[in-house]
Amino acid sequence: MIPEALKNELKARVAAAVTNREAAVDVMKRLQAHYGWLTDEGVHESAEILGMTTLQVEELATFYEMIYRRPVGRRVIHVCDSISCWAMGGESLMAHMAGHLGIGVGETTSDGVFTLLPCCCLGNCGEAPTMMIGDTLYGRLDSARAGQLLEEERAAVMGEMEGGR
Amino acid sequence: MPKLIIDDIAVEAAEGVSVLEAAKSVGITIPHFCWHPALGRAGACRVCAVKLLDGPVKGIQMSCMLPAQEGMVVSTTDPEAVALRRQVIEWLMINHPHDCPVCDEGGECQLQDFTIACGHGTRRFVGPKRTHVNQELGPYISHEMNRCIQCYRCVRFYQEYAGGSDFGVMGSAGKVYYGRFESGQLESPFSGNLVDICPTGVFTDKTARFRARYWDYDMAPSVCPGCSVGCNITPVARYRELLKIVARRNDMVNGWFICDRGRFAPKGVNAPSRPRTSLVDGVKTGREEAMDALLRRLGEVAELYGEGSIAVVGSTRLSQEGATLLPLLAESISAGALSYGLSAAESRASSGAISMLTLENGASIADVENADCIAIYESDLREEGPMLLLAVRQAWRRGAPVLLVGENSPLEQVRGVGIEAVQLHYMEEAPLAIFERPVVIAGMRHGDPRVMAVLDRSGARVACLFPGPNGHGAALLCAEHGGIPLEEALAKGKVKGLVAVEADIPAELLAGVPFVASLDWRETAAVQAASVVIPTAAWVECDGTYVNFEGRAQRFSRVMKPGLPIKELDPACHPPRIHQGDPPGGDILPSWQVMIEMIRLAGEKVPDGPFSGSWANLTSLDPEGEGEVIRGRCRRDS
Repeated sequence: MIPEALKNELKARVAAAVTNREAAVDVMKRLQAHYGWLTDEGVHESAEILGMTTLQVEELATFYEMIYRRPVGRRVIHVCDSISCWAMGGESLMAHMAGHLGIGVGETTSDGVFTLLPCCCLGNCGEAPTMMIGDTLYGRLDSARAGQLLEEERAAVMGEMEGGR
Repeated sequence: MPKLIIDDIAVEAAEGVSVLEAAKSVGITIPHFCWHPALGRAGACRVCAVKLLDGPVKGIQMSCMLPAQEGMVVSTTDPEAVALRRQVIEWLMINHPHDCPVCDEGGECQLQDFTIACGHGTRRFVGPKRTHVNQELGPYISHEMNRCIQCYRCVRFYQEYAGGSDFGVMGSAGKVYYGRFESGQLESPFSGNLVDICPTGVFTDKTARFRARYWDYDMAPSVCPGCSVGCNITPVARYRELLKIVARRNDMVNGWFICDRGRFAPKGVNAPSRPRTSLVDGVKTGREEAMDALLRRLGEVAELYGEGSIAVVGSTRLSQEGATLLPLLAESISAGALSYGLSAAESRASSGAISMLTLENGASIADVENADCIAIYESDLREEGPMLLLAVRQAWRRGAPVLLVGENSPLEQVRGVGIEAVQLHYMEEAPLAIFERPVVIAGMRHGDPRVMAVLDRSGARVACLFPGPNGHGAALLCAEHGGIPLEEALAKGKVKGLVAVEADIPAELLAGVPFVASLDWRETAAVQAASVVIPTAAWVECDGTYVNFEGRAQRFSRVMKPGLPIKELDPACHPPRIHQGDPPGGDILPSWQVMIEMIRLAGEKVPDGPFSGSWANLTSLDPEGEGEVIRGRCRRDS
């Protein structure tokens, strides 16, 4: 269950929107941030806050690739597999990430830090190949830079977890 | 009216139609999935490709998306178009399972037909298919998502046309899934149309699963007996058992769809307890003997209690054939009272409606759909005429406000079709005069007959929801022949003998009547109380006519022969070792024919058929036509 304060804040967000539906992505992202992923409970809560049915929320939740309806790691890595990145070595980048993390595409590392997902264009074609880790976008990647980024992100996550204790 | 050429045929297309529809108008069927006449186009399936050889647009185009224009030269047979359609269908079939032999849609599957039509016969794809987990959608509809070809018809009907919000499309790209958030019964009162509208076997009728194939069906054009709307349907039977009901198109009545109540309501025709043989004092007998006994006992009642002690009672579910003969039967047995219904209130409402309605002021479903304001007066349309709710939604989608008038018009009814409405207390509060095409839908269960005068003056078109599938017809005859409600006849205390013809009379009303006879195919209280029972053919077992709410007389045809369903026969007696033309238990006549036989036995002049005089025009009704509007014949001032 989400805290009352968050619920009230989101209800105010919905009230300020011209149509409830346009606030749906904001609401889902906030609940996802709260739970770590958009749980079934989160879908029910989103529906209640938005005045929509659970089905209507699910239609949107399953359409957007950055709304996660299954558990994910602390940082989700989206590696672009669209045409520009593919032409600039996106496939090797994805293979390198998978190899480095020791997981397949769509999987989460055993320490729960990273989930690796393909993604259809991050709007960063000029910087191809590109990927997103958490909320941060990275471009012009090669395997050395990608490995270095993973180490940095892992350290940051560990720091957050330490801080959280 | 643009003129174009399709496959060397000159076509003059109606304004605004697509190339696909223009081709259809000259008998060329271009394969299509996402396009549906009631839903329009989506451009989602890409299978209706044609090549434009000349004119304002050239090259390969999707015929459902392209408006027919002057000077177009269209080829459906051009090698490029043929190749594209073949490739598209092969691609659509990549994930479709090879399960036609165990699929209920097999034989009536648009995907089968168009796969063949597009020339795809051999599968080249050898990879794994995408698969889905199905949902439990309740007792009526089966879900098999693996068969889906992503045409979006189901969701377009369910959400846009019917206003449902618990079924939709989830996911994206290759993982599109049509279903609910979680398993559970579909909430829309029109969910059964998914079965009809799905071009393949994703949604099938669970109530008739694995019972028969299309080519084995007994089918005929028919009319739903569920309420006074009179939706056109195709009942499907096999081995003298009614299996399922499918919607039948009639643009003047129900369009392409029907409601779940009409489709899935328990099929009384199949009830094992149905009267199947004539009974005299509970003893099985032949029909002739039963009719003899009936007439003899009616004579005794008349002798004992005097003139006018017999009542003949019809109903609003009795076909117009039966209802028309009822007065003749009453005359032949010197009945003192003729009833078409039980309650005085219902009778007042019905007679108020027929004396107000004219050809001009009556509303059809099409009038409801095209209205710019709709008032629902004292009615819960979920009960009195669900399909009108679907029509109200179409008007609402075009901007018409919806008003719910009176305390018997609950708000929940419009929520089921996803629309908003304003609640009012009195009909006089509805500002109908400021609209150009207002329609009032008047319920007659709770409505005050005095409001008919208000409606008459309002300038609105009016749809009156009569009770029963033939309520309008029964009301017209009741007025013509001076019928009185049974309650009223019984209150006078004179009725000592009663002949119920397909009439649902509660046991307490029958308690004070010494002699009861019943002609029926349902096991009613009257059948249980009757000393003489003569079974009649059910609506799917005979031809007949219902006059719907707007006064449209519609003919229904016999779907199956009357008789015991094969599954009710004793297997030990199979095969029957006697020769007979009729199936076992098949010696059953429609009620109007039983009445003619009785009139003959009573020694009166027998009419040639059910319809004569001013009703003769109903003799030639076409079951596949639009029906004939006969309302207004009782208008008092005409």
